[in-house]
This record gives sequence, C-alpha cells and structure tokens, in this order.
Amino acid sequence: MDLRTRLTRVALAQPAVLLVTSPGATRERLAVEAELERRDWPQAAGPASADLVVFAGTPLPVREDDWAERVWQGVPAPRARVTVTDAVHAAHALDHGHATLLKPGTQHAGHQGHMNHQGHGADHEHESGHGEHGGAHEEHGGHEEQADHGGHEGHGGHEGHRPNGEHAAHQGHGHMDHGGMDHGAMGHGGHQHHMGAVAGLPMAERAADRDELRLDRLHVPLGPALPDWPAGLVLRLELQGDVVQRAEVDPVPTPSASGPAFWNEPWLRAMTGEPVTVGEAARRQCAAHLDSLGRLLGVAGWIDAAGRARDARDSLLGGAGRDELVPRIRPLVRRLRRSWTLRWLLAGVGAQARGPVGGDVHSRLIAWLDAIEHALDAIDGRERLPARPLRGPRGRVDTETPPSQSLLDALPELLEGAEFACARLIVASLDPDLDELAPQQLPVGRNHG
Amino acid sequence: MLVLAAWATATVDARSTGPGREVLRLLVQQRRITRAADIPLVRLGTTLLPVAAVLAAAVLPFGFRSVSDLPDGVVWFNAMEALAWAAVWLTGWAPNSTLSLIGGYRFLAQGLAYELPHMLAITTAALGAESLQVGAVVDAQSGLWFAVWMPVAFGIYLLSALAMAFWGPFDQPAGADVAGGAAGELSGVDRLVFLGGRWLLLVVAAAFAVPLFLGGGHGPLLPGWAWTVLKTAAVLGFLLWARRRVPTVRMERYVELAWVVLTPLAVAQALVVAVVVLAR
Amino acid sequence: MSTAAFWLLAVVAVASGVMVFRFDSMARATFSLLTALLCVGGELIVLGLDYLGIVTILMMTIEMAIMAVFMVMFMMNPAGLMPMTMIHNKRGAAVICALAFALLVAGILLAPWPSRQGRPPADPTMDLGMSLMGPQMLTMMTLGMALFATIVATVVLATRRGRYDRYGDELQAAPPADPVRGGVGR
Repeated sequence: MDLRTRLTRVALAQPAVLLVTSPGATRERLAVEAELERRDWPQAAGPASADLVVFAGTPLPVREDDWAERVWQGVPAPRARVTVTDAVHAAHALDHGHATLLKPGTQHAGHQGHMNHQGHGADHEHESGHGEHGGAHEEHGGHEEQADHGGHEGHGGHEGHRPNGEHAAHQGHGHMDHGGMDHGAMGHGGHQHHMGAVAGLPMAERAADRDELRLDRLHVPLGPALPDWPAGLVLRLELQGDVVQRAEVDPVPTPSASGPAFWNEPWLRAMTGEPVTVGEAARRQCAAHLDSLGRLLGVAGWIDAAGRARDARDSLLGGAGRDELVPRIRPLVRRLRRSWTLRWLLAGVGAQARGPVGGDVHSRLIAWLDAIEHALDAIDGRERLPARPLRGPRGRVDTETPPSQSLLDALPELLEGAEFACARLIVASLDPDLDELAPQQLPVGRNHG
Repeated sequence: MLVLAAWATATVDARSTGPGREVLRLLVQQRRITRAADIPLVRLGTTLLPVAAVLAAAVLPFGFRSVSDLPDGVVWFNAMEALAWAAVWLTGWAPNSTLSLIGGYRFLAQGLAYELPHMLAITTAALGAESLQVGAVVDAQSGLWFAVWMPVAFGIYLLSALAMAFWGPFDQPAGADVAGGAAGELSGVDRLVFLGGRWLLLVVAAAFAVPLFLGGGHGPLLPGWAWTVLKTAAVLGFLLWARRRVPTVRMERYVELAWVVLTPLAVAQALVVAVVVLAR
Repeated sequence: MSTAAFWLLAVVAVASGVMVFRFDSMARATFSLLTALLCVGGELIVLGLDYLGIVTILMMTIEMAIMAVFMVMFMMNPAGLMPMTMIHNKRGAAVICALAFALLVAGILLAPWPSRQGRPPADPTMDLGMSLMGPQMLTMMTLGMALFATIVATVVLATRRGRYDRYGDELQAAPPADPVRGGVGR
C-alpha cells in the first residue's frame, strides 16, 4: 500500500454522503439515514462537498432530464455512487460504496465505481468522467454535449486538472439547473420563457419586481435533490435576487417503488381489512411528524434539535419502548415549544388564514408537536384501529385526493413573494409526501363500493 | 497560533468529523468547479477570506504584544473584516450557480444588518480608551474591564462576531437550505481554504473581543499571554455553545432588530461612555 | 522603501483602474475598481495618513459590496455569463475625461506650491481634522445635518409604501401589510 492509498484511506474513513431520495423510497432513505447516523458519517449539503452519492430508490428523469446524472457529475473525485433499492441492504450498500471509494482506481484515474444495489448482486460498470477521456462524454448525457462545448469555448481559462468541470452541467446545485431548464423547455415546447443562451445556459429575463421596477428574473428549478427536501418534488421558481416571484409545482414522476406510501402504511393496511393496532398507527404517526420536524428544523438551521428529532424518529421506528421514548421526545418537544427564537424566526412566515394549511410555519410546527405528544400517549395502544376515519400523518387517507395533493396545491400561492429562505421553510412546514400521489395508493373505490 | 486556534475550533465544531481528517479529505478531493464559472474570481474570493482574517489578526495583541500595534488598529480590524464581504460575495457569485449566488447575496444583507451596531460597539470601546490603538484600549482596562461597564456594546460585539464569520446562528450565507450557499460549489482545496478562512475569521473575531472588552492580557497570577489564550477560549466556547441553542437567524428579521433596536442601544451606550469619559 | 511602495501601489491602482473599462463583466469591473481604490487607500497610508487610508479601505470595500447588491438586481446571471460593456457614451466620456485630466495637470503645474516650512506633524490626521473641523465646526455640522436630511427626504420621496399603505387609513392594522415581515413587529 503506497502512501497515497494510505492517506486516502485515512481521509475517507468517514466519507461525506449525499443522500438523494426518489419518490417512493422513504423506507430506503430512513434506513440509509439511520445507518449514516450509526456510522457517524456526515451528510453533504450538495454534490461539491460529497464523496459518496447514495441514491435511495432508482432516480427517475424529470421531463426527460437526467438530473441524477448531473448530480453525479457534480461530485469531485474520488467519488462513488450506490443505489439502494431495498432498505434491508442499506448497510451493505454503504460498505460497498465505501470500498469502491477507497479502491486505488477511483482516486484520479478516471474510473468511478457505479453500482446498483439490488439485493447482493452488485453489477459493476466503470464510467469515465474525466476530461482526458473526452470521447466518453457521449456515454452519459449526450444531450448535454452542445451546451458543454459552448461552455468550453466561452471560457478558455480552464486548468488541466479540472476533470468534470465543463461536463458537470451543475448549478442551482446540480439539482436542476439552467441546463435542466433547457430540456424542460425543449421537451414541452410551450414553456413560457424565451431567453437568450450563453454557454448553453438560458439567461435571465426582465420582469417587474414587487416595487414595479423592471429587474432581472431568473428561472430556477428547485429540487429534486436538495437537503431536507420532499423526495421527488420539483418547483419551478422565478427568482429576483432571492425573492420568489412565481412558483410552479412540476408534475411528479410516478414513483417506481411499489407498495403503499411508507408514512400511510398502517392506515392503508387497515383499509384493506388487515388488523392494525392503534399503537402501531400512533408509532408511525409520531415518527412521521418527527421526520417532518427534523427536516423543518434542518432547514431552519437548528442542527442540534434536528438531530435529536431524527434520533427519536429512528428509535421509534426501531421499536423502542415507551419508557425509552418519552424521556427523549418530551424534553425536545418542550424545548421547541418554549424557544422564543424559533417563534421569532418562524411566526408569520407562509401565513394563510384558512384552508388545509391555515396558520404560519410556526403554528404548523406547534401542531406537529401536539400531534407527536398525542401519538406518544397512544403508542402502547393494543386495540384495533377503527375502520374510519383513517387519519394519517398528513390527513384523511381514505379520500379521493391524497392529503399531500392539497398541500402541493397550496404551495405556489404561499411561495409567491417569499424570500428564498422563507420559501424553503414553507415547503418544509407543509412537507408534502409525494409517495402518497402514487397510483397504487388508491384502493379507495373498493372500500367505498 | 491562529491556525492552531482555528484548528481547535474546528475540533469542537459539532458537524465536522475531526478537523485533521476533514482537511485530509479535502486535500485528496479533486478541485472542481461548475460549468462557465468565473474561475479567477472564485480563486480570488476563496483566498481573500483567510487573507482578510490574517490581516485583521495583525493588530491582535497576544499578551501585550501584537504583530503591529497600528495607531488606528480598531479601524484596521474593521476594514479587514469588511474585506470578507467582498470575499464571500465573490465566492458566491463566481461559480455560476443560483444557490451559491443566493448565499453570497445573503452575506451582503447580513453585513448591512450587523455592521451598523458593530461599528458603534467597537467605537464605544475605543471611546472608553480615548484611542483607536488596540494597545491603548487594553491599557485602559487595567482596572475595570470594558465588558463590565459597557455590557450592551460587548453583547452587540459578540453577535457581530458570529455574523462576520457567518457562523453558528448566522450561517445563512453558507446555510443548509441553500445547499451550502456561498461554499456550496467549492470542493477540494478551494473548500479547505474558504472554510479554513471562515474558522480563522471566527477565531480572530472572538480573540478581538479580549483586547476590546475583556481586559486583554490583564489578570492576576498568570502571564499576559496565558490570559489572552484563556479569555479567547472562553469567548470561543461561548460562541460554539450559542450555535447549539438557536436556529439560523434570517436577515429579513435580524436587520430590523439590528437597526431599530440594537443601533439605538449602541448609540445610547456610546453616549453613556462618552459622558463618563468627559466627566473623569 | 516607501517610495517603492508608493510606485507599486500607484501602478496597480492605475492598471486596475484601466481594467475597469476593459472587463466585460460587471463583477470583474467592480472588483477591479475596488482594487484601484484599495491601492489609493494604501497610498494614503504610505503618505502617513493612516487613519484616512484605513477608512478609505473600509468605506470603499463596503461601498463596492453594496454595489454588488444592485449588480444582482440588474444582472442576475451569476458569474457574469452575459458579457456586457462597461463603456457608454464613449465620445462624451472621453472628452470629459480629457478635459478633467488637462485641468488637473494644469493645476498641478501652474499652482504656486508653497515650499515646506517646519517639520511634518507627528499625527497628520489629527492636524488635518483640526484644520478642517476646528474653525469650521458649525459649517461642518450644518453640512452633516443637511446631507442627512437629504438622504431621509430622498428615501421618503422614493418609497412607494408609506405608513398609510402599511397600517391602513386609520393607522390601525395590527400587523402592518409588509411584503416580508420584519423582526420587531412594528
């Protein structure tokens, strides 16, 4: 083992992981998050700071745009990626990704491990992402070619050691960038922006701001790979500075993972007539709210409290007893209720008088806290869940439209005029679960009929 | 010394996995940047941050001696710390990424919010010593520390120390909600230099509270340098603790607090100090 | 030593001043202007006017940073993707510049400069301040107030939303109708 390999081994003993969740892969995400917590591996906020990309669920292209590939292109070498399609194999997949990361070949030679963790059959294929292998560009994302070369010509001053730079069509955090916009616009002809393009990237256009000054307005797709972001959600924003002037929810691609939406599972099972105890449902509900809470606190930048909420969620789902849970959750809930800084920062953000999302971000957070405490009391309930009404974490499960649909419908209006940080908070405070939108989750007709 | 202190800060920094390993990780990491980025500006922005921190540290007395005890040391510190505005903004703008641009943009808003009360706070300390020279400010505290009779200015200074290093509750420019913000597109050495610069800036900002408000090297028994180290560590410890207690402060809220509440408070504090100085 | 520093700073200042007009990106132009101004601040320090030099550095840095805010308003494409020229009304500007330059040079050459008497003071900044402010304190204070009043008046005239827009005609709306809520609840 030469020095370089050994150094890498030490350096990457705890790789930074970028976890990208696809809709329908909540179970996988939770498994990976719990595993990361156990190993004490940090989570990266974006591709540039990541070593290992973990796709929870197979990422689906949005509007023919292979965003997952772009996220991957944004990750600096040494890097590795794994796809976890079964929660049981999360730990194994992480091991495998880590091993690939440490393999001497991945360092700077231009070979990145790319494997798929479906069960144990990890198929290996090598990708060349490095600049030296210029010809390999077409292999992934040939549709980016034009734009990439445009970028090339526009900027002569690239340094030699900048492998994926020009290929990585990655901004807006790679998640979906101008390049992505381009595809969106191309694929769906009648998109409403007509902008010039420089270096293959669409440019900003002018529009009136809230003081009716004509200022630059940038079209930015947000999602689907952002930290603490609802899996699969893509918002098309028009930004002026960091003020959201218009927002539009992109249609959600159908989740690939079959099976009921994870957070609604007990109620959906009860709907089909399976015996489900009140305790089981309460446990899932409590965990769902803690999950939402963890993400909202993560977006609000309270890392400490967010970590506590996630720990509590993991031990809830791990089946910890009530005696163990109460001393973990109660102090957290009390602390959040009492925090005046949290109230000062969240009150009045995303306020709406009525409707399914009445109140503001802070009152929604308080509502979660109430529901968590309420569910915590019922966690040992052994009686059977009544057949109706079936009220899941986000609302009635047994209606025609899933509750998350109304949350999504409320989004554009709430986001308009909000600053970017507030917009993130609003999305996190609604926390729509796109798993609910999957078609398999509507056995309603049968129940009604 | 500074680097060591920054290192120590990073160790306590809850999110990092141990600074040595993190530094190594960033060193083996490839340096990549986004398509059509303005590379010279990225490099300029990332390197300017630690440079600004080190230049600001030039007037920091260690014990009672500093690299250069300029006659206008307090203003020098302020000017160098303002260079960080340019650095962060450049780093956010140049990579051609919207989220990173928002990060850089936020830091300007943050700067405008914290700078006004901050300037008044450090002016108050200089007023109390009747000198802009850091050494003279320390000498003026051989008896009573400024923190004791200018508590408002001290509190405001602590807030702005966090804000100028965009750290802890003021980490919005590099916040998680914009996927790392200004630092979001940096990897490898660039990231190391930028984040290292941020830690340096935090340490320098915390260390500058010691000569300004906590009596510098003055203290019983121990030599001056030991007191400096101890007090700096205490301030840093407080700042690190504060991060765990509060969520990120958004500027659209803070700016109103800073201008409508903190600035008048700071002016009132300066008035009190001015009257005391005139009367003695 | 200080002569070398003077010339070095002067050359850098002029060079980056020229570059302001050569760059086709607003960010680069702004920061090359900042470089030029920082060098001017350095010149002041070299000339012994420490305080003025440092204050110049401080003010110019903040000023340029604030200019960046406007830059984002008018040019949201990060990294200056859309090249744009920094020169407008070339001929007029050239004429004005040439005139100003000629005037200044003429002033330098034709002014009857006094020969130095005595020694430079220990703290030139202090003396400068005294000679500026000492006899003309009243003028300066009036000027300061007038400038401040102008700023306030300009903002009042320019703002689209006054207190009647925020609090309603009776000034009684409980939370003011702001696009974004502030931190004090006022």
